[in-house]
Amino acid sequence: MAHTTTSRRARKPLLRAQAVLAAVAATALLSACGGVEVRDGGDGATKEASGQLKLAVVPKAVGADYWNTVKAGAECAAQRAGDVTVQWDGVTAETDVEGQVNLIQNFVTKKVDGIVYAATDSSALAPATDQALAAKIPVAMIDSGTSPQPSGVPLFATDNRASATEAAKLLAKELGPGNHDVALVEFQPGSQTNTERVDGFKAGLAQFPNLKLVGQQPSRSDVNEARRVTENILTANPNLKGIFAANEPSVLGAAQAIKAAGKSGKVVIIGWDAAPDEVAGLRSGQISALVVQNPFKMGYFGVDKMVKHLRDKAPLASADTGVTFVTKENIDSAEIKAVLEPSCANPPVQ
Amino acid sequence: MSTVEAPADAQRGELSDWLRERISHAVSEFTAATALVVLFVALTFASPYFLTTDNLFNIGAQTAVIAIIATAQTMVIITKGIDLSVGSVAALAGVLGAMVVRDLGFPLWAATAVAIGVGALAGLLNGLLVTAARIPPFIATLGTMSVGRGLVFIITGAVGVYGLPRSFQLLGNGEIMGIPFAVVITVLVAVGVAFLLSQTRFGQYTYAMGSNLEAARRSGIRVGRHLTGVYVLAGVLVGLGGMIAASRVNSGQPNYGISLELDVIAAAVIGGASLFGGQGRIVGTIIGAFLIALVRNGAVLLDISIHYQQVIVGVIIWAAVYFDQYRRRRLESRG
Repeated sequence: MAHTTTSRRARKPLLRAQAVLAAVAATALLSACGGVEVRDGGDGATKEASGQLKLAVVPKAVGADYWNTVKAGAECAAQRAGDVTVQWDGVTAETDVEGQVNLIQNFVTKKVDGIVYAATDSSALAPATDQALAAKIPVAMIDSGTSPQPSGVPLFATDNRASATEAAKLLAKELGPGNHDVALVEFQPGSQTNTERVDGFKAGLAQFPNLKLVGQQPSRSDVNEARRVTENILTANPNLKGIFAANEPSVLGAAQAIKAAGKSGKVVIIGWDAAPDEVAGLRSGQISALVVQNPFKMGYFGVDKMVKHLRDKAPLASADTGVTFVTKENIDSAEIKAVLEPSCANPPVQ
Repeated sequence: MSTVEAPADAQRGELSDWLRERISHAVSEFTAATALVVLFVALTFASPYFLTTDNLFNIGAQTAVIAIIATAQTMVIITKGIDLSVGSVAALAGVLGAMVVRDLGFPLWAATAVAIGVGALAGLLNGLLVTAARIPPFIATLGTMSVGRGLVFIITGAVGVYGLPRSFQLLGNGEIMGIPFAVVITVLVAVGVAFLLSQTRFGQYTYAMGSNLEAARRSGIRVGRHLTGVYVLAGVLVGLGGMIAASRVNSGQPNYGISLELDVIAAAVIGGASLFGGQGRIVGTIIGAFLIALVRNGAVLLDISIHYQQVIVGVIIWAAVYFDQYRRRRLESRG
């Protein structure tokens, strides 16, 4: 035995002290992060009198550029309305459907005045919406709704299917007459938005018998994966002439693969979304066109209509937030600029 | 014990050794339990919405699946194994359970049996890979994780399983005498497995194999058969968990449970299970699962962003494992 009894005995209180320390540290961390909000939350009584509204705004997942634009729109509407606070919270992966159900439940428990959210799964979130409505908390959906969508719950979103069909027509126009091999880089098989864009694109493609879909691979919303699958599609189909990539990482990976293969400009890429790298790709001619949604408007409408509903009893009605087809030609127009670089000073919400 | 010490001192030393060992063993669990209580009390004061029946039942139902699957994971961890396939297997069980209801009109109990059967088969596969094929558990279940996820996508065509009757929600969203059904199932599972591990020969063998597999073999335990049994039982619970998860979202989700293995390993480790095997208790794991759930719930009530939640959970894992190592070093230094 290396240690004497006394030295071990001396350690005992230390052990206990550290155990308690760790427990307290965890709690302290939690309360330190939320220290300011604690008092706000407890102010329930004065809230009604001053007309202060607290809205929960929940994206499909936090972290992406797209959802940050939604957040900017939501905060812009809150700021313009006055006396509205937005609590922005979401799960870390769009596939965490159960996590989002839990999150909505927690907001219902918290008794926020209204919930504005984008459903990660249309049927799975339907019961969560019902719970909120049962607790007399109005709900507005942005980007993705639920099925069934209860009456009185509006949806402010892009028509993905129709827009993807338009993207197919755009691809056909860029490629011109003659037979062409085309490929599709989708992002998350099984997600509703993905399914809508894929179905819409294929419906559009069906109108052009000269276009043949030779490859369809998922990027799992990862740029590296998108590049890998695009390279494989290129290897298998050296005559590939066009690609439709259905979201930001898919577009970036596909463009990198085409560039690495030395086929820039020879393969037409129609992309979705408008991240800075995508816009740069458009300007350099690597990407022919981008289908650009209006996430700012989704966030703005969600909060704006909800506030009007809560304060003026205005009915909540759905609206298509629309898409814009951005090409090298129109990219510098004022209208496109407002969509690409949305700001609260010049919000693209008309 | 040095030989120059008087006999009376030696006896007192043994007593304090024994006491210290008990304390050491309880420390991780105790740490987690203390953290849980402190957090609970803090949240009660910090948010008027926290200590309400609705919220507490919500937390219970939200934690049910993780708690059940973490219980399965704890059994495997005690044998010095690991099961990385829990997320994929839960998804497979959930989509198949949903599909037999939608396509074949199975009643809920039969669908649940199918889900549990799927879990058991996956567990059997894991067990055989580890014992018969002698593939290390990490690798064996890594393979099952990939195969399972692939099968989910093949079977569903990568489309969620929808159009289920309302009754499908019973397990995940139903109530029995005002208490969420999922909570009742979790309690039954936790008590059952805790009993199995602490009061039966099966439990003794499980700990023995985790502490020293060779010694367990030499003492006459048929380790191959027994270890496989542990994986099968774990699979049963994973299948059940997957079915409850599907029920909660009223659909079979192909993408369910990605990185779920990390959540449940975290719960087990926070609760005092040691990845070196031979240690871990269900009560600790349940505490660990609820600790994580409370952080998530509290963060929403107090308006703390998801990014901080992850930091907090990470810090809790560090603290828990630090104590695990600390305890281990102490035990080893005693010679």
